[in-house]
Amino acid sequence: MDGIHDLGGMEGFGPVPVKTGDAHFRDIETWEKRMWGLSRHNLAPGITFDWFRHGLECMVPGDYLDLSYFDKRCANYLVMMLDNGTITMDDVKRGHVETPDPPAAVKALEETLRITSKSDASFETEAMTEPAFAVGQQVETRRLMPGHHTRLPRYARSARGIIIAHHGAHFLPDKGVHGIEAGEHLYTVVFAAPELWGKDADPRDEVTLDLWESYLVQT
Amino acid sequence: MPTFDSEKAAELHQELHSHLPSDPALRVKTLKSLAIERGLVAPESIDAWIEAYSEHIGPKRGAQVVARAWINPAFRERLLDNAAEAIKEFGFQGSATGHLKSVENTYDKHHMVVCTLCSCYPFAILGMPLAWYKSTEYRARAIREPRKVLEEFGVKLPNHVGVRVWDSTAELRYLVIPQRPAGTENWDEERLAAIVSRNSMIGTERDLQIEAG
Repeated sequence: MDGIHDLGGMEGFGPVPVKTGDAHFRDIETWEKRMWGLSRHNLAPGITFDWFRHGLECMVPGDYLDLSYFDKRCANYLVMMLDNGTITMDDVKRGHVETPDPPAAVKALEETLRITSKSDASFETEAMTEPAFAVGQQVETRRLMPGHHTRLPRYARSARGIIIAHHGAHFLPDKGVHGIEAGEHLYTVVFAAPELWGKDADPRDEVTLDLWESYLVQT
Repeated sequence: MPTFDSEKAAELHQELHSHLPSDPALRVKTLKSLAIERGLVAPESIDAWIEAYSEHIGPKRGAQVVARAWINPAFRERLLDNAAEAIKEFGFQGSATGHLKSVENTYDKHHMVVCTLCSCYPFAILGMPLAWYKSTEYRARAIREPRKVLEEFGVKLPNHVGVRVWDSTAELRYLVIPQRPAGTENWDEERLAAIVSRNSMIGTERDLQIEAG
């Protein structure tokens, strides 16, 4: 999707907030910490990582740029809960649901740490096909504009690079956004800076992307 | 069940925009109330998660991993080969480390990590990303003008150093192993871990300062 989220390489942004944006988690605003604590729960049953990310991509573009990370997440969780029927827009307007459900069980600190240590989920799956590409091979990214969630950024369309790693088959985000688990070979591809940014770019520099097989063609 | 419908998500965002309070703290309060009343969250659990990420899950974990890689060649090999497995020796595996990779800075190569499409980050080993990492400025510029961005962090790269920027577009997450500074030859793991900064493990710092140790 050609959305506002696809920021890579866009110009006109000022300095990185190196000093003002370096507060440790324990020192950020209380509401921000609460938002993170909330997001550690399954607030919208049935959603996938990709659908959540795509929800963010579908924000009002001005909001996407204006709202901070935690603020965006807050709006997006509400959208996810509205979309799957957990809450209604009237609930949001009221700030309360009409008929509350039984309260959730309390999780203590030890439980949160145990949950974290079990959260190293694998996104790898069994490969249904032989890999089309091999490490060391030159490939070109396709000029894909699918209109939905994808992980090939705009800046890396129709660019030639070299495969430096093959990771087996991973779930394809373009399917995960529809709630479908479909594996496809995943590669890390390195691109020379001038290939992406033109002849004046520094030839010493390069960018790598992790790209699925259907994003790539042989050159 | 979610609808998985892009147009519906966009419409909901637009409608929501006009109904939410202007103060972000109040917006989160609305979400919190609704989640509690729906039986999805207990208020005490939110506090427990905040404590977990304030005191237990943070960049000190990554620093310990880097320090061990510096003094233990066999561990370094395991870390470079499969970081997701290697960090289990510490019990540090967790959110977003299922496909953790480590990349090592060398004399002529500097690694830097970004997520241009969202803000992907290896939470369980580095904690919550700082605001600058999630900023539109860093996400837009890190891949296109890494040297300028590095200068804003106070890093001036020598001429012989090339930059490789890793854009985290899949579920792989990257941990940069900074170079071990000279003058730390007899230091133990704990003392070494104390000088490994968070930014050095993302690649926005290069030369670690040994005074802190």
